Parts: sequence; structure tokens; C-alpha cells
Amino acid sequence: MRFIRDSGMPAENKRGVPVKKYVLKRFLQMIPILLGISLLIFFLFAMMPGDYFSSNRKLTPERLNELRALYGLNKPVIERYFIWLKNAFHGDFGFSLQHMLPVTTLINRYIWNSFIISFVALFFTWALALVIGVYSATKQYSFFDKLVTLGVFASLSVPSFFIGLMMIKFFGVDLHILPIGGMLDTGSNSVGFAYLLEVLRHMIMPVAILTILSVGSLTRYFRTGMLDVLRMDFIRTARAKGLKERTVIFRHALRNALLPAITLLAFELPGLFSGAIITEQIFGWPGIGKIQLDALNARDYPVLMTLTMFLSFLTIFGNFLADVMYAAADPRIRIAKKE
Amino acid sequence: MRKKQFSFISLLLVAVLILSACASGGAKPGTASSKAEQATKVADTKDQYIKATDPGKSPETANNRTDTFVANISEPGGVFVPYFYDNGWDENAIQPIFARLVAIDEKGNPVPDLAEKWEVSPDNLTYTYHLRKNVKFSDGSPVTADDVAFTLTLLDDPQYTSSVIDISTAEIKGADDYKKGNATSISGIKVIDAGTIQITTEKANPLNLTLLGGYILSKEYYGKDYKKGQLDYLKALYSKPMGAGPYKFDQYVNGQEIRYTANENYYGGKPKIEHLIFKITAKTTALQTFQAGETDLDSFTTDQDTLDQLQALGFANIKIRTVPDYGYIYVNNKKSYLKDTTVRQALTYGLDRQKIIDVKYKGYGEVANVFTAPTLWSYTEDGVTKYNFDPDKAKQLLDTEGWKVGSDGIRTKDGQRLKLSYLTTKPDDQIIPIAKENYKDIGIEFVPEVLDANTMFSRLTKGDYDLLSVRTNGLIDPNDSVAEFASDKPDLNVSGYSNPKVDALIKEGISTVDEAKRKETYKKLYQELSNDPPVILIDYRKSIAAWNARIEGAENYATGNYDSAIALSKLSIKQ
Repeated sequence: MRFIRDSGMPAENKRGVPVKKYVLKRFLQMIPILLGISLLIFFLFAMMPGDYFSSNRKLTPERLNELRALYGLNKPVIERYFIWLKNAFHGDFGFSLQHMLPVTTLINRYIWNSFIISFVALFFTWALALVIGVYSATKQYSFFDKLVTLGVFASLSVPSFFIGLMMIKFFGVDLHILPIGGMLDTGSNSVGFAYLLEVLRHMIMPVAILTILSVGSLTRYFRTGMLDVLRMDFIRTARAKGLKERTVIFRHALRNALLPAITLLAFELPGLFSGAIITEQIFGWPGIGKIQLDALNARDYPVLMTLTMFLSFLTIFGNFLADVMYAAADPRIRIAKKE
Repeated sequence: MRKKQFSFISLLLVAVLILSACASGGAKPGTASSKAEQATKVADTKDQYIKATDPGKSPETANNRTDTFVANISEPGGVFVPYFYDNGWDENAIQPIFARLVAIDEKGNPVPDLAEKWEVSPDNLTYTYHLRKNVKFSDGSPVTADDVAFTLTLLDDPQYTSSVIDISTAEIKGADDYKKGNATSISGIKVIDAGTIQITTEKANPLNLTLLGGYILSKEYYGKDYKKGQLDYLKALYSKPMGAGPYKFDQYVNGQEIRYTANENYYGGKPKIEHLIFKITAKTTALQTFQAGETDLDSFTTDQDTLDQLQALGFANIKIRTVPDYGYIYVNNKKSYLKDTTVRQALTYGLDRQKIIDVKYKGYGEVANVFTAPTLWSYTEDGVTKYNFDPDKAKQLLDTEGWKVGSDGIRTKDGQRLKLSYLTTKPDDQIIPIAKENYKDIGIEFVPEVLDANTMFSRLTKGDYDLLSVRTNGLIDPNDSVAEFASDKPDLNVSGYSNPKVDALIKEGISTVDEAKRKETYKKLYQELSNDPPVILIDYRKSIAAWNARIEGAENYATGNYDSAIALSKLSIKQ
């Protein structure tokens, strides 16, 4: 146990920097970063030639001017930015031009669909990668290990589009055991438990694809991490003490090998909400990925701004979480006061 | 042990190779075009039908839906009030719910819908619509001239923000006073009695009949809280549509499907099929979804492979129809080196358009030579110059114009190299490799740039391009495609083309509603445009739709057509 960490998080570390203060400071740092990002993104989007209306060729120039005035698109970019910022502070993220809906309503309507498949896929990815990675590390160079390596590369290199369509053909059309796409059966009126089952059935293929695609790299990560730890002196010591191999692997090696994964897990945070554009498209899953892509193509600024800002926030927040959790979990990484 | 593993891995590799070979074997472009050539000619505007060979093969999933018709839709947004969406798919979605005053058939002719007849005054300025007797909205309330007046007033509201319709082009008398001034109503809209409405406009426009005769909103339902300049209250009704069409709105399952039920108050009688579903399908899996019986009707990628697969299903009735649009390349007439007619002619002669179309449509497209779609009533090839691929002629034309081939093989004149930028939105634009080779051959440097649509169109309006590839919108009236070549409308005329004869003919084309007279005008216009081409015409194309043979009457139905609701109300399911 002692090799790993002290129990709980110390209120103050040896050099005397209060952890609370550190957390607060890290948190406050997020604000200027977010402001900077919003400025950058807003200008990047606004500076792109053309706007929402420029590809609509049915409009007369007079009507174009009227519409731009009605939506405030004719104002200087700086002014538009501050209008946006002011509204955002009031919780008003604007109105989608493409969907004619408040942006928050629109996002709320689709983001959870993306979240559930991402979350379930994340769960399976981590569970599988952990089991396979650790097991193959303990059996390095075995047949199983080599098979895993092959599988990892296969998983990294197969295009999702291709296996997605293959799966649809096989399970959906030929065997007819899984639905081809969507989230519900056509015309379905099921409620309660039946509804849940129906959604689950529709989730199988998209989740499987997402898992297959990302399990490879993560398995490799766990396997390497585990191999590194297994070569450490303290493992040799543990073995020399006569501990059971199980204890050595799971209590000592695994816990240490998992430490870097905390950072990785925190980085998955934005991915949970960003949607999987290709997978959602193939399986007709009504997620946020498509909304974002459409917004980009159509220059639907309010949607683009809000989504991009939200994902930026999650990324930064994920970083923050990673730092805090890591500091809590690993005694070797403690905040040092600047001399 | 080692050896065994090696052989196992190599076995896997072989398997992967075989698999990938199978996948690439899917598309055989060679066989496709030859097979299709015999079957299709775009200019032959008749739809081509392939009847189902074995309707009994219809999948159980479909057969079990005895009272439901499932058609596809691409990407509805969820704003289900006519004119207030900004997404064209939402218009498709509301068509079953909202009847129009006047529907439009595929050829662009007006068809009675809520209005049983109409009159246009001899000066083409006043339109009188007579509503059917006893027409009702789906809630049982009568459709009256007040509803029509309310709908048109709404579109002229100063706060009306959607870009789908621009009623100002109808120039209703007094509309400007309402929109910009203090008028409380529009003087040109006159309710004569409950069943008759008269609309006076200030300028003759053959499009007015159908523009003014659009979807009708119930004043009682949508206009209770209406005050000029305040349209926000409508947002609450976006998801609760109510109209006079054959179906009533039931539910929108976000991003999945839209459900409808038959309207017992429909003027044409309650539709035979009780339920209608517009299901959102992706182009990539449309065929699989149809094959599995989850949809009854869908449109598919236009190629021989898809067609073969559809035919193999047995239960599919297939319709191959010509799409009412054309593809073309803008030529920037404002550039000094492109303003001469001969140069634009040479650009057309020098491009192997047939090859582009063979590659792009594999037999389901055709070279365009007339400035309208083959489906429109005004289409005629009579006296139109066809620019068949002729590089020698192109070279000769450029020579006569004084463009001399330089040492690098590119022509120059007065120090100006003939180097043309080409803007497109498609990374895999088939025109690029062919045009590059063709134009190099006649001494023109061709520089393609792939951009996103909004950037490309903003450069088009700014005139910052030499060549630019686009398609027209779906054409309904012949004026739709030619209006942009009039030199007296500089904002619309993005190509900068100027030809007084063309200007006069365009004006003449919309000065009357008499179709025979207009036909004659457009014939002359097409000839003139072909002799002095403003742009490079490229292609006409076909589309493939298929429906399960259990649905009867679907040959008259196409989602999105302006008469689709009428066709929809007449469908039935063969039990």
C-alpha cells in the first residue's frame, strides 16, 4: 500500500501550499482562458467569407439586406462579439437560424442522444481495454498477446464507415436481427420498459462500432503502462517478499499503472458530448455531431459558437479535473511552491 | 509454436485482402454506362417506369403496416409552419398538413387546390381566387378569404425573417406601405366575400398566380394574437401545425420521423391510408432500409448498380425521372479576357462535356444545351446551337480573337496570360481533371479551388472568380433560370453578362401569362443565349425513386413537389 499513496487528500502538503488554494487558483485560471477562446472562435467564424444567407440564391439583394439587418449581421464584428458575450452572460446563447429554435433547446434536444452512446461506448472501451491490456501485459509475447497486438492494429486501421455498412448489411439486412438505423422502430409507440429495450436494441451497432474503433489504442496504452510498472523495482521487491502473483499484479502493479489513466479519463469528458459524426450518420442516430456539422456548413453562428464554446469548456474543465485528481491520487506529484 | 503463429497471421492477412478485394469489386463503372445508354435519354422527359416483377417478395415488416405509408425525408428541422422554417425539408414536412390555394404540377402548370378556379385580369395585375365550397381546416373551421388575406399580410410583416419566400417580388399594391410605413392593412388585398379574394399587384409577373396562391394559414389559429411587427408569438405554434391538407400532424420524434394521421375534414375526402410517416433516412443506407421494409418509398443514388439492386428486390416499382434543374459553370463576363463572346464559345467547345457526364452520371445524365430544364413546358432545342466537343474549333476561335500560344503552351494576349480560376464546392468534382486536361490542350491554364458553399457564393457575388460551378435551384417557371442574365439587374446578374436582345426577351417573357406567347419568346431567348453564351452549360440529370408495390398510386407522388399533397391523398395500400 505504501508504494501507492497516502490515504485521502492532505489538507496541506509538506511545503505548505494549501490544496484548496491551488484548486481555486486553477479554477480561476479557466475564466481568462475561456474568454480568450470565445474571442478567437468568434472572430474565426465571423471572418470566414460569406454568412448564413450568402449561399441562398433565391434571395434578392434587397431582401438579403433586410434579413442581415434583422439578424444583426450587418454590424461590425467587434460589436457583434460584445452583443454575443453580453447575452451569453445572461444565459441567452441565441437563436439558431437554421432550426429556428433557441440554441439551448436545440442542443438539449440532441446532445443527450450523443451522450448515451458515447457513455456506453466509453464504458465498454475502458472495461475491455483494461482487461485485455492488463492480461496481455502479464502474458507478454504469448500467443494471446500477439493476437491482441494484431487486434489492436486492426481496430486502429479499420474505417468506421466500412465496418458500419458491413454490420448493417450482415445484422440488419441478411440476418434481420438488429435494426438498420435510428433510435426507435418506425411508428413505434412503446413506452416505459419496452421503450428502453427498443433504444438499447438500436444502440447495439453504433456502440459496438465506437468501441471497436477506440478500444485498440487504449488497450495498447494499458498494456504498455502495465509492462512499464511490472519492470519496476518495487514489483521485484513485492515478489521477493513472497507475495502471491495475484496480489502483486492487482494490488501493486495495476494501481500504479492506472495512475496516468486518470488524466486520460478526464480528457474523455468533451468526447462524451461532442457526438460521433460518421457513426451517427451511418446509423441515423439523432445526435449532436450532425447538428454541429450542419451548423458549420450553413454558417449558423449561434449554434456553432455555443457548441464550440461548450466543448472548449469541457476540455478545459477536463484538464482541471485531471490536474486535481492526479494531485490527489499521486503523492509524487505535489504542488511545489515556487521558490 | 512460432511457425504456427506466423501462418495464422498470414492467414488473417489473406482474409483481409480478399475482403478488401470484394469491397472494391462493388463498383464497376465500365459496364454501367453501356447498359444504361440504351435505356435513358434525359431530354425525353417522360418518366421511365420499371414495374415490380414480384410484388410478393415485399418484406414482412412492410406488409405488417396495413394502414401506414412510410416515405423518406432527409433533414427536417422541426419548424412546422409554412414560410417560417428556413430549412427546405421542413417545407416537405408540412406539405401533407397544409393545402395550397393553387398547387403546381411537375411541368410548372397551376393546379386547383383550395381554390377551385381563378381569374387573372387582362392587364395581368389583378388576381381573383374562388375557394371551393365548404373547405375546412382539420379542426373543422371553414377556410375563408380572410385566412388567405391573413397569410399574405403575415408575409409582408416587417418582422418576417425567414428567407424561404420573398413576397415582395409579387409587388402587391400597398405592401410597401404596410411593411415600411404606417398602413394597418395592405390595400391590394381585398376580401370580396367569404369565398372570394382579389389581389392587385403593381407589376405583371407570371409567377404571381402560384406565389400568391401558396399554403394557407388559419387566421383563427395562427392570427389570434397577431399585431403588426410582432411575430414572436408564432414560435409557440411551430411544433403544433394545423392546416387544410390531407393529413393532420401527430408527432415529431426528434431526428427520427414525423407522424401524421388522416384528416377527416379534407376537401377531397379522408385519405384511404390512415397513417403517414416521413422517416429520416441517410443516403448511405436508404437502400438497406427500403430492402428491409422499413420504408415504403425512398430516393436513391443515381447509378446502374443501385438500379440493378432495386430491380433484384422484385417488390420495387422504380421511377427514373428527370430532375428539373441543370448544372453550369459561371464565366465571369466582367473580366476583360472573358467578356468576348468568342472566348466563352471557345471555352464551351473546348470542354468534353459528354465525358464529364459519363463519369458523373454513368448514363443517367445528358449534356445541357438549353437554358431551362427538359421537364419545363418552355424547353425546346429548336434553333439552339449545340457546342459539341471540338478542340480544333476552340483553338481557332481563340486564335481569331488574338490569343497567341506562348512558349509554355499557354495563350497570351496583350501581356495577359489565359489562366482561369475555377471554384467548386465538391472536393471530388469530376469536372476538374477533365477540364484541366481539355483546357491545357487548347492553351488555357485551369486552376481549381475547392471552397465551402458560403465562401464560394460570397466570392461569386463579389465577382472574385473566373469560372465557378453550380446547379440551378429546382426550376418551376422558365423565368427562374434566365432572370439572372438581365443586365438591368446588376445585383442578380452575378456573371456580369450583358446582351440587349436577351434583356428585351427576358422582359417579354414575364410580361404576359399567356403560355403560347411565352413559349415563342423563350424559344427566341434560348437561341440567343446559345449563340452568345453567358455561362458554360453542363448537364441535365436523372433521379431514381422506388416504392414498394403494395402502395398504389405512388407513381404520381414525389415528396417535395407542389402537388404532392393531392397525390398523397389518393394513395392506397394493396392488401
